[in-house]
Amino acid sequence: MISSGLVVPSFASSLFRSNLPSILVLLISLVIGLLMVVLFRYTSDQKAIRVAKDQLKAHLLAVRLFQDQLPVVLSSYGRIVKGTGRYLQLAFKPLLLVIIPLTLLIVQLDRYLGSMPLKSGEAFLVKVRSASPDAIDSLSLQLPPQIVTTAPPVHVPADNEVVWRLSAQQDGQYDLKVEDGDQIVPKRVVVSSQLARLSSIRLRGQFWERFFVSGEPAVPENSRIQSITVTYPDRTIHFAWMEWNWIWLFFVLSLAAGFFFKTVLRIEI
Amino acid sequence: MIRRKLLRALPAAIAIIGVVLLLPSRSEAYAGPGAGFAVLSSFWTLFVAFLYSLYAFFTWPFRHLVRLVRRRKAYGKAQIKRAVILGFDGMDPELAQRFINQGMLPNLAKLREQGTFQKLRTTFPAISPVAWSTFMTGVNPGKHNIYDFLARDLNNYLPFLSSAEIRGPKRSIKIGKYTLPLGKPRIKGMRHGTPFWHWLGKAGIFCSVIRVPVTFPPEKFPGVLLSGMCVPDLKGSQGTFCLCTTRTSSDKFREGGVRVPIEPRRSGWQSYIPGPEDPLQDGSGRELRVPFEIYPDTEKKQARLSVGSEHFTIKVGEYSEWIPVKFKAELGFGARGICRFYLKELSPEVEVYVTPVNIDPGKPDLPISHPVTYSIYLSKLFGPYATLGLAEDTWALNEDVLDDDAFLAQCYSNHEDRERMLFDALEKTQQGLCACVFDTTDRVQHMFWRYLDEDHPAAREVPKNRRPKVIEQLYSRMDALIGRVMEQIDQETLLLVVSDHGFKSFARCVNLNAWLHQNGYLALKDNKAESGDWFEDVDWSRTRAYTMGLNGLYLNLKGREREGIVAEGAEAEALKEELRSKLNGLADPASGRIGITGVFDCDAVYAGPYVDNAPDLIVGYGDGYRASWDSVMGKVTGQIFEDNLKAWSGDHCIDPRLVPGVLFSNRKIAEEKPAIVDVAPTMLKLFGLAIPGHIDGKAWTMATETAP
Repeated sequence: MISSGLVVPSFASSLFRSNLPSILVLLISLVIGLLMVVLFRYTSDQKAIRVAKDQLKAHLLAVRLFQDQLPVVLSSYGRIVKGTGRYLQLAFKPLLLVIIPLTLLIVQLDRYLGSMPLKSGEAFLVKVRSASPDAIDSLSLQLPPQIVTTAPPVHVPADNEVVWRLSAQQDGQYDLKVEDGDQIVPKRVVVSSQLARLSSIRLRGQFWERFFVSGEPAVPENSRIQSITVTYPDRTIHFAWMEWNWIWLFFVLSLAAGFFFKTVLRIEI
Repeated sequence: MIRRKLLRALPAAIAIIGVVLLLPSRSEAYAGPGAGFAVLSSFWTLFVAFLYSLYAFFTWPFRHLVRLVRRRKAYGKAQIKRAVILGFDGMDPELAQRFINQGMLPNLAKLREQGTFQKLRTTFPAISPVAWSTFMTGVNPGKHNIYDFLARDLNNYLPFLSSAEIRGPKRSIKIGKYTLPLGKPRIKGMRHGTPFWHWLGKAGIFCSVIRVPVTFPPEKFPGVLLSGMCVPDLKGSQGTFCLCTTRTSSDKFREGGVRVPIEPRRSGWQSYIPGPEDPLQDGSGRELRVPFEIYPDTEKKQARLSVGSEHFTIKVGEYSEWIPVKFKAELGFGARGICRFYLKELSPEVEVYVTPVNIDPGKPDLPISHPVTYSIYLSKLFGPYATLGLAEDTWALNEDVLDDDAFLAQCYSNHEDRERMLFDALEKTQQGLCACVFDTTDRVQHMFWRYLDEDHPAAREVPKNRRPKVIEQLYSRMDALIGRVMEQIDQETLLLVVSDHGFKSFARCVNLNAWLHQNGYLALKDNKAESGDWFEDVDWSRTRAYTMGLNGLYLNLKGREREGIVAEGAEAEALKEELRSKLNGLADPASGRIGITGVFDCDAVYAGPYVDNAPDLIVGYGDGYRASWDSVMGKVTGQIFEDNLKAWSGDHCIDPRLVPGVLFSNRKIAEEKPAIVDVAPTMLKLFGLAIPGHIDGKAWTMATETAP
């Protein structure tokens, strides 16, 4: 017999687990919203921003107040364009300062929230791209026992690519080994029903692309393999009766949080 | 040089490199709420502006067509494209003449040589609200109903503001201890008559009207208007300053200010700004307050002040910027205003002067412009500005709370705001009317005439060679302003510089109530020798005449005043004649000079539907004299004549024949005795409009060509 005292935490815990991504995005948005407006406050010229915004509002009002006088309307519009430039210029410095840490953070969050891990029994594709069409014939794949192929590999010479269709039998983190002659390049695959850090691609070279999209070490420079891709399904987050891509949800929630905190803390943005 | 340029370009280079390197793709495109707001609001601003402009652009031909049809009436016969009227409240023609002759006023000299310079006859009495009401309506006070700053309540002989009445909302609901107001305060304008810009606006001529007195509450018309003199402060008064001080004193200021204690608080001091009455405690008199803290730094002779979420530092002898303050009542009710702080002293005592709390032009709790957005527009364009009708705190200087320099700094700060508004209006009104009134001329002359006068009682201790040339500098400054305006206008623009009255010395006070008492026209209870303010000890059952305000003398008329005893008709006429003959030529026993040079019967100087509200007699004081401070407030003293020792040392509330205003123009005006009542019909005529029959003024004949 299970006591109610045990049922409630268990229910709450499962509810938390099932809604973990949305809760995480909500919390992160709140924290980022607060941090960013505070950072903006201390890295921007608040007075100049206030003046620039006020001037913009004044020119907008001028368009309305003097609407019968076309020269005034046109010159006010010109001033609005100029004023917007000035405003963006003032927002640029704090923007530059926040863009680096925030980009790093978003890149890391995207590893967790951008895609979902593979489910046990779910089919997925592994694509290996080589430097030349000749090399694709020598490519092979070593699989751990928990992962099986569900179809023969498909060679696509036009794209220098070999595609395997696989399926995992149980949860876990596995290394698929791509063989090219003597060289073996592993690629991590995550099979789980939990939130996990994922890297859908392993790349050779291309520092900035690796920085943004890959969470694994680079493929060795002397390898003919250019990239190994695992097709994780995209994650959608259920929030407010809608399905969201996490970045859009983060965009909306962090803006809302920023708006709230900027009003409470009287920060000009 | 190159290095400096490189250094200057460095941030931009880093920015560009940063953007390129971190070229965001996909999810990384978003860089936080700061950037989000910046981008979104910029886009939103441009989008709204674009929509507005598009609307204005596409509807413009239709509106232009409508205007063309309308304008045929106005511009079809118009003699001018644009009129610019600069109102210099109180500019005196004799002083202007003197300073022109001394070569101090080159621009006014140019207008005198090539256009017009004449004395401009003023109204009876020569008081700003009366004269400017006549200026804008073209009628005598009998038709516009403004006879003074104050009018009297016939039921209790108490004064009220003559230009506007502000009352609470029509309905309220009582819930427990609260009285919840349902709706907005009711504001009723008491000035009648139609300002000439209403006629112009209706004919499709655009008008920008800035700070012309007695335009509160602002009336709707096709144009923009910012209200001037008579706009109240947040307390509903015509300006109540606050002196926060650690000095203990039980003295109250005669008028215009309150003393508030500063008390110690941890590392600093605390005090408060008194505000309006709590709107939820109907009639309880409980005032709302905004607390503030002062953290002195005596070494640096400065202090940090904290008012709500505003924190700022000011040095001794310096004003703060305009600081927003919010008076909070319960249940989310409250009132918003702006004020400035002036740090008077830090050691041994702490004293902070706070200006009257002005209505915030950016978030006005009461309408102070038409349309309401005009005051907001000006506030956004130039920052917060003084909105109080009498924005220059003459009372604070009179009470020695401010010194000469602090008062002048306040005046010229307000003046600079006004100049900015004028030049914006000039830019926005390329065709039509642009009228702007400057009060600086009036306030500065009121307060500094003592240095101009040979022997003013308020400046006898200041040697002549050490007297500042404040009024000379004032006239030079106004002349420079005219010069800048002349640079902005073309040959088709008419420029008028007008003042509502001139100025004379106010060296001696006349307590007319004391004279009435001593001559048996006014009786006191229990045979007292004196009475407190507002006729506190007057026995109305034995009083035949009384005075309040600056120039009005009233009969205690049976059937009109609550306790009137003088019968209407022959008795009243005889009493008026008797008072006129006795007061006319009243001499000052100290010098033998004439203190009253004319007493005017209202039936002779006024005509119109509101004559019944007029004083029965208008008292015209002689040069150097004016109603005493006590007499104005309905106080009866033992002395009739006394020295005026206050900084308020110049005045114009005297015989109107002695204080005409000025009329300068860039065109020749063929009129021998122009009067302020003529301005409205002249404007209508120049813009080709018919002059309504009820108008008292006469349109001037003017040269069609502007002086080069």
